[in-house]
Amino acid sequence: MCDVCGCGQHDHSHEHDHFVVSDDTTKRNVEIKKSLLSENERVAQSNREHFDRHGILAINLISSPGSGKTTLLEKTVEALKDELKIGVLEGDIETERDAERVRAKGAAAVQLTTGGACHLEAPLVHKGFHALEKQMEGYPDILFIENVGNLVCPSSFYLGEHIRVVLISVPEGEDKPAKYPKAFKTSDVFIITKSDLLPYFDFDVEKVKKEALSLNPNLKIFVLSAKTGEGLEDWFNFLREKVQEKKAAKVEG
Amino acid sequence: MHETSIAMGLLDSLNQMAEREKAKKVLKVRVKIGKLSGIVVDSFVFAFNALKEQFPKLSKTELIVEETPILYRCNECGKEFEVETVFFPECPQCGSINLKLLSGEELEVVDAEIEV
Repeated sequence: MCDVCGCGQHDHSHEHDHFVVSDDTTKRNVEIKKSLLSENERVAQSNREHFDRHGILAINLISSPGSGKTTLLEKTVEALKDELKIGVLEGDIETERDAERVRAKGAAAVQLTTGGACHLEAPLVHKGFHALEKQMEGYPDILFIENVGNLVCPSSFYLGEHIRVVLISVPEGEDKPAKYPKAFKTSDVFIITKSDLLPYFDFDVEKVKKEALSLNPNLKIFVLSAKTGEGLEDWFNFLREKVQEKKAAKVEG
Repeated sequence: MHETSIAMGLLDSLNQMAEREKAKKVLKVRVKIGKLSGIVVDSFVFAFNALKEQFPKLSKTELIVEETPILYRCNECGKEFEVETVFFPECPQCGSINLKLLSGEELEVVDAEIEV
């Protein structure tokens, strides 16, 4: 970020990868060959470099509204706050509510309100992370970026995270992976939440796991309930392990 | 709905390109969108056309979308094949799932035609 991109002095002169292909007096063809998301990707890459430089594990959480992202974060903060410094960026269209909820559990949190946009983009994360650094007077060990509740659009925008997590809750139904393939194809971890409700819904965990893995064979899958605590310890251990890997990579780097 | 922000990003970058190339107008732009890209082409075209009016140099730009297929190559037997499904396939020739995705995730601005 700042030290990488110069913050606020974004230089677009690097877009020089074009050349004249045909030429007549009035019309010209300009070769562009750039990603449609190149500006987002550029900022995301600088976010990623910033996180790496400071040994921060960044996690992007994607799900529909109401599948339990914030509740899982509350439990995660409660459990890990004494051993890890935790920072949270809360993406929502409106309100400060989610940031207040995780702050109440002991994490530093900055609310990102998109004012209507259905997903977070890398520049807003960049800005939010600066506010978070200020609030923490330093860097977190682990940064959670809670995306806007939406299982579609957030999956197209890389934010610079190391791990992308997609969540679905038991009441949402077992057809979600097949209906929202991009979220599953681009994620590293898949969490099934509200497992305490399994007795009340026709939700076949094995079938859902199989379908998710047929979209993305590399998904690591957790089944948990933030309410009863079932499965939470596996999730916490996974986070502890990933934070250690990140720290080790920083020392080696 | 994210098609709108992506269309806006494309218009911004085309506008910058037009300034840089000292173009009067941008006549055409060609983009490649893969079937695995998560972009709904109709929404993207709709958003592009709705938003281009804001840019004097782009108000008549024609958007040409080339949809690219989902194409894999089998790392075991070398077979190349196309699928329609978003699910991870297996090789139709040898059944392997050790596959390389050759195309389908494209989200690329290829080129533009400008009037100078």
